[in-house]
Amino acid sequence: MSVEQILKAAESRVDEIEVCVGHGDAISAELKRKQIEIGTRSEGSGLVIRIIKDGRIGISSTDNQESWKKCLDAAISSAKFSDAVDWKGLPKPVDLPKESLAFDADIKADPALAKDLIDRMLQGSETWPAEVTGGGVSLSCSSHLIANSSGLWYEARDTHVSLSLEMIADQSTGFEYDSTWNLKAVKPEFVGEQAAFYAAKGKDGKEIETGTYDIILAPTALSSLLDATFVPALSGRNVHTGRSYFAGKMGEEVMDPRFSLIDDPFDHRGIGNCYWDGEGTPVQKTAFIDKGVLTSFAYDLKTAYRYGMQPTGHGVRTGMNGAPGIGNHNLILNGPVMDVMTDDAIYIHDIVGAHTANPMSGDFSVELAGPFRVKNGTLDTPIKTGMLSGNVFEMLKHIEGCSADTRTLGSLILPATRFSGVTIVGRV
Amino acid sequence: MQAEPRYYDIRRVRGEITQIDIDNGKVEQAGTSFYDKATIRALGKAGWGVLSVSGDQIGSEHLNRSLLSQAMNASVITNERVEIAEVPSKIHQIPKIGEDPRNIGIEEKVAILLDLEKEAAGEHITSRRVTYTEKAEEIFVTDSSGNEYQYELCRCGFSVLAVASRSGIVQMGYERDHTIKGLNIRHRQNVAREAAERAVSLLDAKPAKGGKMHAILDPELGGVFAHEAVGHAAEGDLVREGNSVLKGKIGSVIGSSSITIVDDPSLVEFGFCPIDDEGSATSRTEIIRNGIMNSYLHSKETLARVGDGVPGHCRGMAGEIPIVRMSNTFIENGDASFEEILESCRNGILLKGSRGGQVDPGRGMFQFNAEYGYLVEGGECTAMVRDVSLAGEILSTLHSVELVAKDRALHPGYCGKGGQTVPVTDGAPHLLLRDAIVGGCDVC
Repeated sequence: MSVEQILKAAESRVDEIEVCVGHGDAISAELKRKQIEIGTRSEGSGLVIRIIKDGRIGISSTDNQESWKKCLDAAISSAKFSDAVDWKGLPKPVDLPKESLAFDADIKADPALAKDLIDRMLQGSETWPAEVTGGGVSLSCSSHLIANSSGLWYEARDTHVSLSLEMIADQSTGFEYDSTWNLKAVKPEFVGEQAAFYAAKGKDGKEIETGTYDIILAPTALSSLLDATFVPALSGRNVHTGRSYFAGKMGEEVMDPRFSLIDDPFDHRGIGNCYWDGEGTPVQKTAFIDKGVLTSFAYDLKTAYRYGMQPTGHGVRTGMNGAPGIGNHNLILNGPVMDVMTDDAIYIHDIVGAHTANPMSGDFSVELAGPFRVKNGTLDTPIKTGMLSGNVFEMLKHIEGCSADTRTLGSLILPATRFSGVTIVGRV
Repeated sequence: MQAEPRYYDIRRVRGEITQIDIDNGKVEQAGTSFYDKATIRALGKAGWGVLSVSGDQIGSEHLNRSLLSQAMNASVITNERVEIAEVPSKIHQIPKIGEDPRNIGIEEKVAILLDLEKEAAGEHITSRRVTYTEKAEEIFVTDSSGNEYQYELCRCGFSVLAVASRSGIVQMGYERDHTIKGLNIRHRQNVAREAAERAVSLLDAKPAKGGKMHAILDPELGGVFAHEAVGHAAEGDLVREGNSVLKGKIGSVIGSSSITIVDDPSLVEFGFCPIDDEGSATSRTEIIRNGIMNSYLHSKETLARVGDGVPGHCRGMAGEIPIVRMSNTFIENGDASFEEILESCRNGILLKGSRGGQVDPGRGMFQFNAEYGYLVEGGECTAMVRDVSLAGEILSTLHSVELVAKDRALHPGYCGKGGQTVPVTDGAPHLLLRDAIVGGCDVC
């Protein structure tokens, strides 16, 4: 198979065609307790063909590139059933830098490197007395090509390293992870130390009384809540189909006016860095919320064309069939920095069940994970159990402040963030 | 020279997935994609070596030897000797299905779904979406003991989402049904109407008040309770890793004597496994019998290392290593009627439907969210409430189950673990929990 061959074969049958090809090579090592029990090597490739005919979009994918003809036929026939949009064309090529923004030549699918990272993570875990239950490391290298009938032909390489560790001390658990494209940025010792800390220090927690509290949401806890509510509400498709809390609120103040939510595909802390999105549209820095005011939504090509908007470079490849959906690159919460730990509060490391939040209304009630009482600027006494309840959109209208340090968690770059008057339902 | 594997298996999954997405009357997508993935597992000197490649690489004896050798190479990094148990291997018959979805064209399915989507329209409804997913898989499993199986299964299902909006309040109703018993989208307009009616009635529902109260779980949420709170903690891999509060509990009373919780992969429901994904025979496994911890769920490996349980519970997505999973998990019927449960509850809350849940099995904490609920006042259901969740400790909550009804129903869905999603069903009869911790956005 060659991509040129597919583009040519489709020429007379469709108005436009786009071909995406990806190859990946990965290894992983899985820990059961402190030992490596599973070593995995994966090689895979994928082909996604999208065609446009009379404004109708058809798509199909396969992981066997030799069967590209079947895939092309399926893409063409699927277009017949879809409703036409006012299609304004696939992106034309523009002169973008050739270097990859998320590639590190030092990351290879190399067992010795995986072993080294595991050893360093386990060393970190010895900082506090707790037992490892599981975890692992994975390393991957991949290449992507996107080409279309407008002459666009972009190629990029990516690398990825991710590690995680789960630990326990009596009935107190600790979990930590890290993932990045850059070997120098990965922090195995930190992952080990943090997992051990939350397991060891979370022992013998005291129950908390139901009431309202000042809280600090660690980046991990905040990212789970935002992923379930805020992020989908920024999707243009959800906005135009009446499934977003932000629908009809453009230009309104929807967040604390001292804070902004910006998607920056070029931020040095990011792991989703790129020059073009999953459809070949050049990406740019986008302020979704600028000093509290809602200023933009995220669009891929189809959604933008269907609703008469401009594509914003937020097409991402998700789902079983490789169809583009709407996503973001590095979503960053910015605002006034303070020492969030100075005044006493409840520190919430993570939450259990964030995906059960109501994405339309933002209402949630979730179980705390790794909660502590903060006293004199430190995590003082662990809290046994408790449920955090509230409304994400209301909470973000009144943020006390955020830490200078941030963590990169998938496509979010977040500080620890302090709120006041938040409900915790306790068992006493 | 490379050592011979102590054991190996090869699993190839060839599949076709058809997805239809109808959003506010527009067909956004309707098409088919293809995949073919193989996983080769070999037990090396120490642990597992796993190779995941495209399925078309599986072929002649010679090719398979070469793949096996690559899998053995992958095992070199391991440093703990893994043992596996010899377990019975036998395949259940694949049940006959009703109308085979593979024989119905996409055009006809789109027409049926468009019709269904219209049913969700109505006053205050501002958004409607209907999706359909059909996955037909051909599975081939062979191992070093000479077992060899090949079977096909076709799963399909649909979901209806309706969003209602009035004076700035936005609520949703969501209904879905998945099956292995054939095309399930004809004459289902009632499901679409139900989603729309739920969304509209939630506009008037109050936010639930959080706190300690008696809670009645409907069969769907009771199923999530069985799955999240008990099923995961009974998985042999978590027990072996020391990451389950059910470790060391075999033979102990861990809950009310009216509770029997079962995982049954041999049951012909959405989680059905004719054999599991490492070729083991599947059978009904009683995790808890009459309140006593009875059995863990196992793979060949966790059976050898943990014991006290039943193999045949090892499942993997196409191209992924199989891990210990649930399939069809349910609480058995008791003898109470729903009316007795309401009467015994007196004052509390009835929780209905599920927006999902999560568990931390080592800590023994679970959380799940209901789609809606009703206050129970003086033994009667009164006002509707929204955004209500329930969290608790596995061990104390099992003791707090006071009454179990005799109206068990199963609900199909999907479960995620270790980055893999597999089809399951959960179910239960109505349950009464005494002094449960209910989370709501309004505080007492």
